[in-house]
Amino acid sequence: MEEKVIEAKDIVVKYDGITVLDGVSLDVLKGDFLGIVGPNGGGKTTLLNALLGNVKLSHGEVRLFGTDLNKFKEHHRIGYVAQHAIQFDPLFPATVEEIVRLGCISRNNLGRWITAADKEAVKEAMDAVGIYEVRRRKISELSGGQKQRIFIAKALVKRPELLILDEAASGLDVSIQDRFVNLLRQLREKTGVTIVTVSHDLSSVMCQANKLAIVNRKLEMTEITPGTDPTKSLRDAYGEHFTFVFHNHRDNCIIPR
Amino acid sequence: MDLITAFGYTFFQRAFIGGLCAAVLCSLLGVFIVLRRSALIGEGVAHLSFGGIALGLFLSIYPLDTALIISLLGTLGISYMQRKRIVYSEMAIGIMISFGLGLGAVLASLGNGFNVDLFDYLFGSILTISADDLSLSVALSLVVIVFILLFFKELMHLTFDEQGARLSGVPVFILDLAFNIVLAFTVVVSIKIVGSLLVSALLILPASSAMQLSKSFRGTVAISLVVGIIAVVLGLVASALYERLATGGAIVLISIGLFLLCVLLKKIMGSEPRPVTIS
Repeated sequence: MEEKVIEAKDIVVKYDGITVLDGVSLDVLKGDFLGIVGPNGGGKTTLLNALLGNVKLSHGEVRLFGTDLNKFKEHHRIGYVAQHAIQFDPLFPATVEEIVRLGCISRNNLGRWITAADKEAVKEAMDAVGIYEVRRRKISELSGGQKQRIFIAKALVKRPELLILDEAASGLDVSIQDRFVNLLRQLREKTGVTIVTVSHDLSSVMCQANKLAIVNRKLEMTEITPGTDPTKSLRDAYGEHFTFVFHNHRDNCIIPR
Repeated sequence: MDLITAFGYTFFQRAFIGGLCAAVLCSLLGVFIVLRRSALIGEGVAHLSFGGIALGLFLSIYPLDTALIISLLGTLGISYMQRKRIVYSEMAIGIMISFGLGLGAVLASLGNGFNVDLFDYLFGSILTISADDLSLSVALSLVVIVFILLFFKELMHLTFDEQGARLSGVPVFILDLAFNIVLAFTVVVSIKIVGSLLVSALLILPASSAMQLSKSFRGTVAISLVVGIIAVVLGLVASALYERLATGGAIVLISIGLFLLCVLLKKIMGSEPRPVTIS
């Protein structure tokens, strides 16, 4: 049986009595690439927060790697890039390497100094996203797309089995997005990492993901295979007046050939 | 008094060691406080310590002990109000500032005769540093330094990105609470040198100076330490040479001078470079 990396059953999240997620269930298997899409305010980020234990569930349960979320302690198995990661304090004095090194921290090594193995992992992660040569630069000196790579490298340091990206490619120009897509593809091929990404870029999600979750208070899961046409579900979420055009090739869909 | 004569006196030796402890602790913690935009917390703990000192003087018990207890209780109160979201963080600190000042003012008005002593604690007085004061300062300093060395990377993560730290498994609430406790230790260590009203300046100014010059977090901590130590040593030396000079005030004014110098150096060295391009 395939290993379930994330298992959510009938979760309900309410903010101040208003239901934001209503009876959401999903399974993410090892090696899956789940794309989460949906309109603004539909509950995408709330879903991620619920899966990571950042919000209190009114109902339901979440299991990560088979362990109940409330008992889950293996945070080193998860890499996370936050929605607004690059919107940090521009005055914050830190080099690229110092920020990537923060990725070494986990519950298992609190109070332990950085080891040689950690340093090697940091170097590998910076290499993987192409920022090794600027490791001594102040983070605010880099452009938006380059900053995003810092946070992806930080998430990769622990060689995570599950990578969660909350609109990690938003605000990046198409060439950087292209590199980002390729990076994720290479990562999946090399490490078999499970990826969950929230995105507004339907094109990118349809090209990369093997599962699509459309979130608009409720959740609808679709397997993405050649020929998949989730138009009805997308129209339910975004509105009837949209036309969605799908094509079957699974190559880079961001820059048209 | 010349400097060599001053170093011959026990009180000045104590002041020097105590001053170095205060400089190291304030400069270290100041970087985290400034970057977390929570400079007000230093002010809050300092004012709580003022209430604690007044309580000690009123009850005729060792004032730094009561300052430590009230500061610790106050920081726990701030953390509790923040955690339970009873009020905004700034409001929680503001309430504790009011409590510390109110307590101090009431006890000073009731306890005739200790207003002069209280003044020493408000603005610092190197003449009054006892062997007990110094022992307490050194002991608390060791605790703070070990804490910072052990949890440096976790504190940096907490400072840079609290949510990210939480998701990495850092026990954010406990670490934050521990930080506030060592901050209370730091304020108590610094009271006799710069005074409870000026402690926050020693927390903010070296870190702010360092931020003008350094690109890295570690560099900022290192420069903050150097600036803090220079300010305290020069302040102590100045107050030894000119006996009527208030040590705390001198240290703060020198810190401001160093901050302006760092701003000027940054201007001379050039503004922020343009974003770099990487392939």
